[in-house]
Amino acid sequence: MATAVVARPVARPQPRARDEEVLVWPDLIFIEFISALVFTVGLLILSTFMNAPLLDQANPDVTPNPSKAPWYLLNLQELLLHMNAAMAGIIVPTVWLILLAAFPYFDRDNEGQGAWFATENAWRITIVSGIVAFVGTWLLILWDTGKIAYFLNAWFGLSGGDTLRFLENVRSMQSQLPWPDWSRSITYLPFELRILDGTGRGGPTSFQNLDFPGWLVEQAIPITALVGLPSLLIYTLWRIGWVVSRRDALLALFTGFVVVFGVLTLVGTAFRGQGQELVLPWQLKVSEGIPGQEAH
Amino acid sequence: MAVEAPPKPTLADKIYDRLFHNYVWKSIFRTGYPNTPRNQMLIVATNVFLHLHPTRIHRTHVKITHTYCLGGLSFFMFLGLTVTGILLMFYYVPSVERAYLDIQNITTTVQFGQLMRNMHRWMAHAMVILVFLHMMRVFYTGAYKPPREFNWVVGVILLVLTFLLSFTGYLLPWDQLAFWAITVGSEIAGSAPVLGPKTRFWMLGGFEVGPNALIRFYTLHVIGLPLLAAIFMAVHFWRIRRDGGLARPL
Repeated sequence: MATAVVARPVARPQPRARDEEVLVWPDLIFIEFISALVFTVGLLILSTFMNAPLLDQANPDVTPNPSKAPWYLLNLQELLLHMNAAMAGIIVPTVWLILLAAFPYFDRDNEGQGAWFATENAWRITIVSGIVAFVGTWLLILWDTGKIAYFLNAWFGLSGGDTLRFLENVRSMQSQLPWPDWSRSITYLPFELRILDGTGRGGPTSFQNLDFPGWLVEQAIPITALVGLPSLLIYTLWRIGWVVSRRDALLALFTGFVVVFGVLTLVGTAFRGQGQELVLPWQLKVSEGIPGQEAH
Repeated sequence: MAVEAPPKPTLADKIYDRLFHNYVWKSIFRTGYPNTPRNQMLIVATNVFLHLHPTRIHRTHVKITHTYCLGGLSFFMFLGLTVTGILLMFYYVPSVERAYLDIQNITTTVQFGQLMRNMHRWMAHAMVILVFLHMMRVFYTGAYKPPREFNWVVGVILLVLTFLLSFTGYLLPWDQLAFWAITVGSEIAGSAPVLGPKTRFWMLGGFEVGPNALIRFYTLHVIGLPLLAAIFMAVHFWRIRRDGGLARPL
């Protein structure tokens, strides 16, 4: 394909191809009408047979276990279990939304628009990225909940003993390694800096102490995973010659996002039981928060 | 060769003529019945609602598998949510004392109240899903490419607004599900660096989900965010037209 373009084409509407056009009425209006009708009827039927949930009146003194955000935020709630709260709840989604909005300013080539999976390797990239993201996210969740160590021990009798316990999950790197005392309080900033201080009480001109093991497991490792794993995926796909353009790289990145978003939402919705323990969907029970009802 | 005389108008023809070719009807609908290409284009061009469309579009765009109607259906959900939402507003008062009882009232004593509430709820879920799928469609068809870069950005803003609309509506029934979901959700917002605690305070109008939070969420849900969404939708649709309709291969 000849891609030796002298100057980037200025963004302007394509010229019309009048002989290729059809009339909006009836050709498009008909489709819109039918799809609106199908959805109206479908939702009416759904609404007839399925009632919107309504629990007991709100009571600040009675906390249901687990308490969950609306389902489309459960992906963030799931992230919260694996890293620093500010990162999972705000920084990751904000950075991602900005990246998402910046897509067209990164991939400025106007080739390959208006058709599904238009680049040569688009399908392969999408499917492979999807599978990698699906398996990878599940593995990370299983590892960080200690399930992999549990299964290795329960099914194969493999146990690393105390020496390898720090690999059980991310948090155990903080608790199981012999960190020297000074590493838990590294003085680094003589400012009132509230970014890393979860309590919001920085205090005026107080020295900030960095808990290195805590920082490692709550921020450094998650950031490395969130930035590194997608980069590694794109780099690998580039090295084997599948990703050849920015569009291809975005295909891998976006597909990875959609699948990770989906898996996190699913896990947060159907696999998190009381105390946010990882359980199978049919073991998921909600306690209404009445004392004595909690499962232990 | 004998020329055939045109058939005499039947009674039906006369009634049709009286109904649709009179002064009043013509003052409302200026074009004739859209059974000729001329009238079909005129009806789209002269009707304010249909005028969102051009009169003619490229034939690949009426293929259902090109868009799956996802953007249009998202907008349709927004309209449906407005209608059912207005009906629910007749019965609902956003106060801690009344909110829950009003929802119970809607679902038990108001005619079709349960149906309206169900429709509103499921349409809201459908809209979140449809908007997300629409984003996926636009991405995988490369429709964000020049000259539609900024419309993709507007789309991302509309995605966020959809989440916010759904989130603010979640609190209104004032049941345990609503209360604790918003508590958890606002705690996520409160964890933001530097601005977190203040943001949460402004969002809730206090340190906890209470009467102030309810009235804030209600106001945002029924007027603030819908207005904002409508403005961005207007920009979104306008720019689709200005950029030459849907993306198609060069």
